[in-house]
Amino acid sequence: METEGRLSDALEILWKKFQPQIEERVAVLEAANRALAEGALTAEAREAAHAAAHKLAGILGTFGLAEGTALAREVEGMYGGDAALDEAAKRLSLIVAELGRLLSTRGS
Amino acid sequence: MIHRILIIDDEDDIREVAALSLETVAGWDVAVASSGAQGLLRAAEYNPDAILLDVMMPGMDGPSTFRELRKNPLTAGIPVLLLTAKVQSNDQRRFADLGVEAVLFKPFDPLTLPNQIAGILGWN
Repeated sequence: METEGRLSDALEILWKKFQPQIEERVAVLEAANRALAEGALTAEAREAAHAAAHKLAGILGTFGLAEGTALAREVEGMYGGDAALDEAAKRLSLIVAELGRLLSTRGS
Repeated sequence: MIHRILIIDDEDDIREVAALSLETVAGWDVAVASSGAQGLLRAAEYNPDAILLDVMMPGMDGPSTFRELRKNPLTAGIPVLLLTAKVQSNDQRRFADLGVEAVLFKPFDPLTLPNQIAGILGWN
């Protein structure tokens, strides 16, 4: 129990340390979504979004945000590969907004 | 028993949370490296009991790093556990076929990660 408490306290410190980095990854997704909506998504922006989503999927659950990992995996799947994304734009926008909400709910 | 673990991962948040978990929960000694190339050097000098190796890294990725570890007599016998956020079954098969001890998945639970590793390596 004491170990669990020490781990939890230390994880909160790490969350505060890495929260800006995690939020920056969500910002990469938001920028890609905006470019997609404007018909201006480049291959580089798509790859950056894919990588950001992959990293979010790997870390969010570790900080207790399992739902965030599931959402990030969905984004990773959409931005990965070569499929056209026109029909996915609305869904991507909803997911990334939800990711932002989850991060703000967890707080600083 | 205090085990020595080397974590090789380019993502600093994953590296720090994993190190925190192994040090705080299990009391193990932990060394870290932020790239495959750095990991090869660190593995040879630190001589860990096991290596936790990320799959997707820029430059030398996890599978390439694993193959290089196996080529070096100093590191060839060190158990390697791959750590990946990829959950697709074809990726899992590909990683398992490399000959690593196990494939662990991100996100991991920091409270149970040491026990998971100990169970795989027979350290319980």
